[in-house]
Amino acid sequence: MTTTGNNPLLTPLGERLVGGSLSDAALMRATEATPDFQILPWVNVVKIGGQSIMDRGREAVYPLVDEIVSNLKHHKMILGTGAGTRARHIYSLAIDFGLPSGVLTVLGTAVAWQNAQMLHYLLAKHGIPFIEPEGFNTMPHYLMERNAVICQGMPPYKLWEPNPAKGRIPPQRTDTGCFLIAEVFAARKMIFVKDEDGLFTADPKKDPKSEHIPRISVEELLARDLDDLIVERAVLDFLARARNIKEIQFVNGLKPGQLTAALNGEPVGTIIYRKGGIQ
Amino acid sequence: MSTVSTGAHHVPSSLMRESLVDKNVIARTEAPVFPILPDVNIIQIGGRSIIDRGYSALKPLLDEILENQPKHRMVIGTGSGVRSRHIYAVGLDLGLPTGALATLSAKDSAQNAYMVSCLLAQHGFVYLEAPFVVQLLPAMLAAARGAVFNGIPPYALWEHPPAVGKLPPHGSDAGSYLLAEVFGARSLIFLKDIDGLYNADPKTNPQAELISEITVEELKRRKMSTLPIEPSVLDLMSNARLAKSIRIVNGLTRGNLTRALAGEAVGSVIRA
Repeated sequence: MTTTGNNPLLTPLGERLVGGSLSDAALMRATEATPDFQILPWVNVVKIGGQSIMDRGREAVYPLVDEIVSNLKHHKMILGTGAGTRARHIYSLAIDFGLPSGVLTVLGTAVAWQNAQMLHYLLAKHGIPFIEPEGFNTMPHYLMERNAVICQGMPPYKLWEPNPAKGRIPPQRTDTGCFLIAEVFAARKMIFVKDEDGLFTADPKKDPKSEHIPRISVEELLARDLDDLIVERAVLDFLARARNIKEIQFVNGLKPGQLTAALNGEPVGTIIYRKGGIQ
Repeated sequence: MSTVSTGAHHVPSSLMRESLVDKNVIARTEAPVFPILPDVNIIQIGGRSIIDRGYSALKPLLDEILENQPKHRMVIGTGSGVRSRHIYAVGLDLGLPTGALATLSAKDSAQNAYMVSCLLAQHGFVYLEAPFVVQLLPAMLAAARGAVFNGIPPYALWEHPPAVGKLPPHGSDAGSYLLAEVFGARSLIFLKDIDGLYNADPKTNPQAELISEITVEELKRRKMSTLPIEPSVLDLMSNARLAKSIRIVNGLTRGNLTRALAGEAVGSVIRA
């Protein structure tokens, strides 16, 4: 590395890091200017919804599995799963027992894990492995050999999940976990597969007059401060400050071809982008 | 048991078919939280401030921990110190992202935790990795005298992108706070190399005055350029349910830990 100053082994920034306070705001800003290496720039992170897809069983999951298999030749994918209705059940119970958000995270992780395991059984004959957070170091090998891996979507925060501002439900769940995988690896795409065509001006399940939003900036979406959203709020907060991921896409997994179109770069569903990214 | 509607197989529950992102649904889930380990004290030993100083700084502190062991149950977290600063420097130079830096840095505090556990092993202390904290901590506290854990939370590749720059926002202070919160611990004590929180950086400004007590809100309002703890702890405290105060004391001064455990006004207290 390029070095100056007193310690020949450290960059000027390195000297400040070793000598200074990590709570120093100026030092934090100095790290902003460092380069970004892209770890897996060809991988696509695809999040399969829990309540929206997995809980529907064969009717929704089988066609989606077929579509994933048909894309294996063309795209490398990290497939993460959501939790769904069993998580809602155990969150209700655990809240009733007075258990904290960190414990709810441990419990919810098990549900996302079950869904990932089921998806894994369906894709096992194609040689696609299910990997735990501890096994992520081996993932690049599987992606090169078999073009896809399956993981559960929850971030591995366990008891260390931060509290939400309101209520008890862990604020960082499977949408966030999958987004953070995409961000840290500088993935090519982050695609959320749900049971709607994307984002609407109101919940299309409740309001038939709601209009589809094909493209919106994360800044505008946050400014609207909607009561309900298509994605966890933490994802929007992190997208707004991300360094690698510039946009995320939401497609309807109940409509064959939407995932394929999104993988091929077509503007199906809804794209939420950050300003300062690709316009 | 299960009900089928709009194509999905549901399990009946108060959250069935609900959007967990809906603000009104979220508001309904506010209810009192049960403290899991209310008699445990979480003691966070600073990495650079204490452990990097070596035997002369750490040994008296460990002796004091042992003296207090008959009266107080303690779980000890460790910071990472200068080795993390170094790997941040190398990692940033290589262009590695925040999640990679967090994964690397967690090994430094794990090393510190392991060393502390070795020094306390003959007194029955064990080192617990995160999965064992989740599953075994109560059993370990019942069977053993105490436990040492890695202060850095197990966020690894999933560490949050920070608002500014690239360094992981959740270090060992945040991790220790999160454990105190989730277990509903009796107290959380940060052992550093200064007497507490000052109104200016005491290392550069001799006029700096100690703040003995302050609220999170007031501290955030002051927008201080440096703090003796990670700024993310203040954000986490804003959402505290159980761990509503933390204490920062000088771990290099004999007797401070004992006084803090006894609830005496030593160092600085920050309240949610």
